[in-house]
Amino acid sequence: MFEPASYESNLLARASLDQCVKCTICETQCPVLAVTPLFSGPKFVGPQAERYRHGLVVDHSLDYCSSCGTCTLVCPQGVKIAELNSVARAAMKKGHTPLRDQIISRTSFMGKAMKPVAPLANAVLHNSAARWAMEKTLGIHRKAAMPTAHSHSFSDWWKKHTPPSAPTRGKVVYFHGCAGEFFEVETSIMTVEVLEHLGFEVITPTQGCCGLPMQSNGLFDAARKHVRTLADQLGVEPDAPIVASASSCVTMLKHEAHDIMGVDDESLIKVGSRIREVSEFLLDLADHDDLPLDFSPIEMTAPYHAPCQLKGQGMGRPAVELLKLIPGLTVVDAEATCCGIAGTYGVKKEKYDIGQAVGRPLFDKVREINPDFAICDTETCRWQIATATGATVVHPIWFLHKAYGLG
Amino acid sequence: MTDVIVIGAGLAGLSASIRAAQAGRRVTLLTFGLGGLQLGQGTIDVLGYTTSGETGAGGSGPGPDRPVARPFDQLPGYVRAHRDHPYAHFSVDQVREAVDWLAGLTPDLLVPGDGANHVVPTALGAMRPTYLVQPSMVWPDPTSVAVVGPRQIKDFYPDLAAANLEKTAQVRTKGYHIDLPARPGEVDSSPVAYASSLDDPAFLKRFAELVAQAIGDEQAVCLPAILGLRRTDAWRQLSEILGRPVVETLLAPPSIPGMRLNEALTTQAKAAGVRVVLGSQVTGFESDGRVITAVTLRQAGRDQNFPASQIIYAPGGFESGALTMDSYGHVHETLFDLPLVGAEQKDLLTGDYWADQKLFTVGVGVDDSMRPVSADKQPVYQNLRVAGGLLPGAIRWTEKSGDAIAVTSALAAVDAVFATSAPQGGTN
Ligand SMILES: Cc1cc2nc3c(=O)[nH]c(=O)nc-3n(C[C@H](O)[C@H](O)[C@H](O)COP(=O)(O)OP(=O)(O)OC[C@H]3O[C@@H](n4cnc5c(N)ncnc54)[C@H](O)[C@@H]3O)c2cc1C
Ligand code: SF4
Ligand code: SF4
Repeated sequence: MFEPASYESNLLARASLDQCVKCTICETQCPVLAVTPLFSGPKFVGPQAERYRHGLVVDHSLDYCSSCGTCTLVCPQGVKIAELNSVARAAMKKGHTPLRDQIISRTSFMGKAMKPVAPLANAVLHNSAARWAMEKTLGIHRKAAMPTAHSHSFSDWWKKHTPPSAPTRGKVVYFHGCAGEFFEVETSIMTVEVLEHLGFEVITPTQGCCGLPMQSNGLFDAARKHVRTLADQLGVEPDAPIVASASSCVTMLKHEAHDIMGVDDESLIKVGSRIREVSEFLLDLADHDDLPLDFSPIEMTAPYHAPCQLKGQGMGRPAVELLKLIPGLTVVDAEATCCGIAGTYGVKKEKYDIGQAVGRPLFDKVREINPDFAICDTETCRWQIATATGATVVHPIWFLHKAYGLG
Repeated sequence: MTDVIVIGAGLAGLSASIRAAQAGRRVTLLTFGLGGLQLGQGTIDVLGYTTSGETGAGGSGPGPDRPVARPFDQLPGYVRAHRDHPYAHFSVDQVREAVDWLAGLTPDLLVPGDGANHVVPTALGAMRPTYLVQPSMVWPDPTSVAVVGPRQIKDFYPDLAAANLEKTAQVRTKGYHIDLPARPGEVDSSPVAYASSLDDPAFLKRFAELVAQAIGDEQAVCLPAILGLRRTDAWRQLSEILGRPVVETLLAPPSIPGMRLNEALTTQAKAAGVRVVLGSQVTGFESDGRVITAVTLRQAGRDQNFPASQIIYAPGGFESGALTMDSYGHVHETLFDLPLVGAEQKDLLTGDYWADQKLFTVGVGVDDSMRPVSADKQPVYQNLRVAGGLLPGAIRWTEKSGDAIAVTSALAAVDAVFATSAPQGGTN
């Protein structure tokens, strides 16, 4: 067992720093460095500073890294830059994580707390005086994107839901994530309905938080505990694929818990190898001529933003390929690096302006392509894009649900 | 699902992907990280210097001899003297057509070639020969030049460049500084920060005003190669404001002109329908006798097989890890373990800093359709082709030849797969 944020847990990432050839490719692509001189950039705080760290902090500008993972994605030498940065930041903040970071990293707690008082919670979240107070006391920026609380959770719906009587394909385990349980209930329902329409028997085990928001706020102990529990929960059907509509949580299970926090339990590795983004899962069916293509046309042109953490899975952009199959629909990849929210980064008072600047090229693209309607796989990014542009932002499954005539 | 899998997104892989997509094929491009384009200088080299052994040049001994004025005229002789050179697989026309094809893809970014090399100033004040340049780099043959840079930029010293250009370009020169941080408060800005700022018309105007105030009556102005990242007309506007030609001067990486080219080609590939998968390494493959049936991509969480009927392998060379040397001094190709040419030479590495290292001539030998071959010239796999930096027989940075080798071999590989006619023969 590793100590939280210990260097032992990060040996693999540390070993990779010697592969750095100082080519500067990561520096050219980092979305934070592109908008602020306050950050000294991935190569400096990553492989360069890591060499001198030995448990000490050498460059506090590291805190400006948003953990978007772009640097690791583009590095042609396999340096685990973002992973190094995440561990170093956790070490830097250990013992003095602000209360704010402890609260916003507990999505399911927030969802549960707000559910019984959803209208009140929404009123507070959209009340400028209350938001001013939140900024002053907690450091959550008054204009930052916030979820909309619901009085009904996905589980409430699931309990009343009658699945089709005779599934024609095998079982799939559905992972909705905390946001899919409390805030993005529609997305979760649509995903289940599409899977059932295709003939799958959908199983939704009890499931907690993956721990990602805690991990990105440096709270590794809590994050490890959560991801281990979740891996056990999702492992219920050892042979069934696990399908998810929460792409950042998928990233956590596929590799971040292992690569950043050194969790190498067999249950996690197994779940991580079986879990699929829903678009990835459906595109795979299509590639094997196993996805019915009896779609009704949807006449629309809409921008698509691939979230950083989905890109970090190194599988391309399955949603773009999948949505091409729907007649009438033109999906334009916005080709933006990051929307600027980066989980909880962009809501923090001291990071808000940077987050907005990071997201600006994307917001401009959305306004240019279709100011009313955009597509993105991750909920926090959808909230960010919607808040900045006023557009309705949906998960790719929205289109499949509609094209199959389910809604 | 996919007709062609291309591995690697450098100039070779991007060219191959676009070419195959233009031919109506379904292409998947798998690449570990970004390719080398933004580490180059954003121009296209064909042959910049002849190295010893070639006919017609004066010098002898190791290293570059002479700058080449008209590369296509010199290729046949050069190839006769370097029989293992990658260019030996192509006709001169094939190289010229490949380079013209690339220029045609990016008309905003590359000035069409007319058979003659350009010379482009560098931050050290050398005049570097290269074939296709960006419009911002055309040397106007001035008699006097002002070399100007912001005091806050990394690695650009106008006085140094000016002093050397005096000799290399035979011009009257003077170096000047302007004081303009790329972003308020920054004292040590990267070329990327400047280039992004120059995308903003207000910053560009301010920049131009300061340059105009600084310089004398020189006929042309050399500025560092930071003139716009997303826009390609910043140099033109500066030139209009200053009332004389401006020339982008090549810097150490990251290269802004290289980023422009990388961006343009990647955008073209995607627009042509290429499925781009960035960020995962191809770590293995499956084969059935001499046919590769699938390649294995190490994605987050698991390995994913990509079945394909044709594979074009464009992974670069040593610099990108496609070739490695183990502790016994043996060289290996890391993915398919392909047979190598040149690995048996003596003294692959020498301690002489200025000598060419023979190690960098090692690579994967191919036939004229770019299929890797064994020592007895038999294709190793029927459906595997190689392009770009992995080909043996050239030290690209000495000759300035790597770009055209990459594009020509990429097109040769794709055309060999899909052409109805037989592939063209070699130069001799
Ligand atoms: C220091 C230096 C200076 C040079 N100077 C010059 C010059 O002046 N002029 C010149 O013409 N050439 C020069 N070159 C050579 C230059 O590298 C080549 O000309 C050209 O860029 C090669 O392009 P490429 O597409 O073959 O490979 P690269 O641009 O190297 O691209 C290869 C890509 O393949 C990817 N890749 C590799 N293996 C895998 C795998 N297993 N799975 C997935 N992806 C993989 C890599 O990540 C990379 O993205 C220089 C090279 C070096 C190292
Ligand atoms: S991209 Fe990778 S190799 Fe290049 S400077 Fe960054 S960490 Fe180093
Ligand atoms: S993770 Fe993102 S913000 Fe952090 S250094 Fe890398 S690219 Fe920059």
